[in-house]
Amino acid sequence: MLQPLRETCRRLLQDGIVQVVIGYGQAVRAVEPYPVFITDPDDVGQLVWNEQCRTNLVKYLLRKEIRVLGKPAIVVKGCDERAIVVLEQESQIDRSQIVVIGVACDGMAEPRCEVCDAHQPRFADHTIGHATNETQPAERRYAHLCEFLEQPPSDRMAYWKAELERCVKCYACRQACPLCYCERCIVEKNRPACLDTSATLKGNFAWHIVRAFHLASRCVGCDQCSRVCPEGIDLRLVNLSMARASEASFGHRSGTDPQAELVLGNYSQQDQEHFIR
Amino acid sequence: MRPMTNIYQPDLMEVLDVQQQTTDVKSVRVRFRDDARGDDFLFRVGQFGMFSLFGYGESTFNICSSSNWKDFVEFCFRRTGRVTEALWSLEKNDTIGFRGPYGNSYPMDKWIGKNLIFIGGGIAMPPLRCAIWYALENREQFGDITIVYGARRVQDLVFRQELDRWAEYDRVRVVPCVDPGGETPNWTGEVGFVPAVTERAQIPAGNAVALVIGPPVMIKFTLPVLAKMGLADRDIYTSLENRMKCGVGKCGRCNCGPVYVCKEGPVFTLEQLKSLPNEY
Amino acid sequence: MSQIISKPAIRRLVERWLRQGKRVIAPVQVRPNLVSYQPVRSPDQVLLEGFVRPLNSIKQVVFPRHEQLFQYRVRGKQIDLLPAPLPDVERIVLAARPCDAAALPILDHVFNWEFRDATYNRRRELTTVVTLACTEYDAHCFCTSVGSQPNDTRGSDALLLDLGDQTLEVRCVTDKGQSLFAGQTEASTRTAPTGPGPERRADLRRVGQQLEQAFERSEWAAWTNRCLGCGACAYGCPACHCFDMVDEGGPTCGARVRNWDACQFGQFTLHASGHNPRNAQSQRQRQRIYHKFHVYPNKFGELLCTGCGNCTRNCPVSLGVLPVLEAIQAEGAK
Repeated sequence: MLQPLRETCRRLLQDGIVQVVIGYGQAVRAVEPYPVFITDPDDVGQLVWNEQCRTNLVKYLLRKEIRVLGKPAIVVKGCDERAIVVLEQESQIDRSQIVVIGVACDGMAEPRCEVCDAHQPRFADHTIGHATNETQPAERRYAHLCEFLEQPPSDRMAYWKAELERCVKCYACRQACPLCYCERCIVEKNRPACLDTSATLKGNFAWHIVRAFHLASRCVGCDQCSRVCPEGIDLRLVNLSMARASEASFGHRSGTDPQAELVLGNYSQQDQEHFIR
Repeated sequence: MRPMTNIYQPDLMEVLDVQQQTTDVKSVRVRFRDDARGDDFLFRVGQFGMFSLFGYGESTFNICSSSNWKDFVEFCFRRTGRVTEALWSLEKNDTIGFRGPYGNSYPMDKWIGKNLIFIGGGIAMPPLRCAIWYALENREQFGDITIVYGARRVQDLVFRQELDRWAEYDRVRVVPCVDPGGETPNWTGEVGFVPAVTERAQIPAGNAVALVIGPPVMIKFTLPVLAKMGLADRDIYTSLENRMKCGVGKCGRCNCGPVYVCKEGPVFTLEQLKSLPNEY
Repeated sequence: MSQIISKPAIRRLVERWLRQGKRVIAPVQVRPNLVSYQPVRSPDQVLLEGFVRPLNSIKQVVFPRHEQLFQYRVRGKQIDLLPAPLPDVERIVLAARPCDAAALPILDHVFNWEFRDATYNRRRELTTVVTLACTEYDAHCFCTSVGSQPNDTRGSDALLLDLGDQTLEVRCVTDKGQSLFAGQTEASTRTAPTGPGPERRADLRRVGQQLEQAFERSEWAAWTNRCLGCGACAYGCPACHCFDMVDEGGPTCGARVRNWDACQFGQFTLHASGHNPRNAQSQRQRQRIYHKFHVYPNKFGELLCTGCGNCTRNCPVSLGVLPVLEAIQAEGAK
């Protein structure tokens, strides 16, 4: 897997098709791989691929520090590339100016990998390796959420209070999210100040609810927010909840179909309204 | 060391007067609600205060009145953010919060016997004004005084009426200027950018110190002019405007290279500035 | 002669402290992979072994992530300011790591730099810190690289060292520590050996000189480009102390509060005019490194870092101070 990956990247850089490869690297001492930005074809040896490449690199397509490096090629897993699909649908990237290198993945030992139906990338320009995409029935994909929802509402509220009590508002969830791309996040706006910036229970609830609102029907379930949270808050539950609502009410699974119409970008008289009260 | 009071709790001040200076700049005169606090209050020109409106927050402004004035403290702001937007609707008798004075100051004692050159642009007049009035009120201590002050347009000049009053003092030369296109039919001042006007003004630089405050681009192009005139880096002063929250060297926001601007600034010589990273 | 105490006896002490109305903060297993300093409700929650270090820090005990500075009430033209209630509950931090406690005397400098911060100092007085020397380390630990060690007593009132068989050696460091354990320990001849600590990877006490030459290096972007600009490093750091001040509430009543802030956020230095003195992430990373290893030591004589490694542990992309400093040193060695 690694050799063809490096070879593909070397060729893309050498032929001048791209100026930078966004991939995974790993220093000898480092505990896990981290994002690297390769600009010299001779440096492709720094690229690694292993079962710990858990970062969704798509975020870097939007970071201005990386944009200045030139036209990118990006290494993605089948789950990561869904974010590229959404970014293109939302006109945040010009897909023709990005080379997507999909790498088949057997799972990264993350909770979401157990119910993954995107082991093999589907929209990449180059695909390395082969894996099989098994259809996962909805009840399996949302099992983690359903299990949680079996608790009575008061227990769920108590759970979220205990979890969000720990949130320090480091905004790692937002910064790691490939779909949180606002130039100025609503929590940073102060004219008017819509949300308390304080990391109090009230401010934390407000923050995570507003973030969920802004990601509803858009979130692709890469669960980076959950992965990076230093307080271990299981934001995956929120992501699953949004995805399930979007799928149940609009038949929309974000980032799985480049031709699909966006839930929030389209209105139809057939749209469901049962949740508006 | 100071006694352990709440260093973040402001004093209350009463608004005495609000003057609209330009379309988006106002100056405000305030007085301590607590007379005793007012009687004790001392500051040095160049220092700043944290001014606040409760429910909106605090903002950092230079105290633009002279330290010789005992009846009020004056500050000046441009309407740009949450706090200044709220301050814009201040009226006489309103109450604001004030903490200060903070920071270092212009070394007026060190400037005794020197010729003074004040150069400013736009909203930078207030931090020059306190020093100008101080120098005029201690006129015999200082040599020739030259004031070059420019704005985009005539109506953008802050404290415009005071320019004429300063010019009436002995050995004071005021050179007002506006950017090309910003002049009005009856404008008698210069037309041109501050660096060019400064160069044209043929200001004698012997035994002089200069205080230069303005937008970064104005400062950038004025410094070579001053160097050409023969001023040494240690004789050129400016006041930095880094963003601050606490004002008392705690919150870390105004840290720039080795200094906390709120405590070791805001006033620096060009010589000091050159040892700082360009992060102000 | 040394003083010892059994772990069950410590837990009985915790029970007593809680009954006395004291607040006890200790490492708690929040979930399988997460140990965190939390207020404890019962003695069995306290972890006394089996963890490297919590992912947060004890700075929250003296410098909470959110605190009211004062309250305001506006009635017409009448404005009243009410002081925020001063903290008055005694707190005991138990089984803190030495790399956490060592940050407290470092923080004391800035919170007493000419202007003394009343609530910080009040909390500091009310807090007794009992540390637990480390016996296990992970790849992110680097206390030995900043001149510290696993049984460093800086900032501790008492240090506990594991003797095995459910017994701890107690070394009281201050009067506070003495009085906390007075009559609770037994004399013994056993003393805990000093462990080697994590491998010493560099002498970061001297990196400041190197940094003086490195400020303008063009590699800063390459070293730090992967930074996503969140505050996970700063908020998990025992020594980072930047804060924001905002008014919360309405125009008639509310409070001026202070909240943790972090220099990696793009808005941190953004002026109302739109000018941003540190516009690029690499500048913000550089600022964090310089503040810790150059600015602070030059001002206060101590690094603003205790080598706990939380910045890297918490970083979504494995950055943090050590990887950056090692990159600088590697370049310097070329």
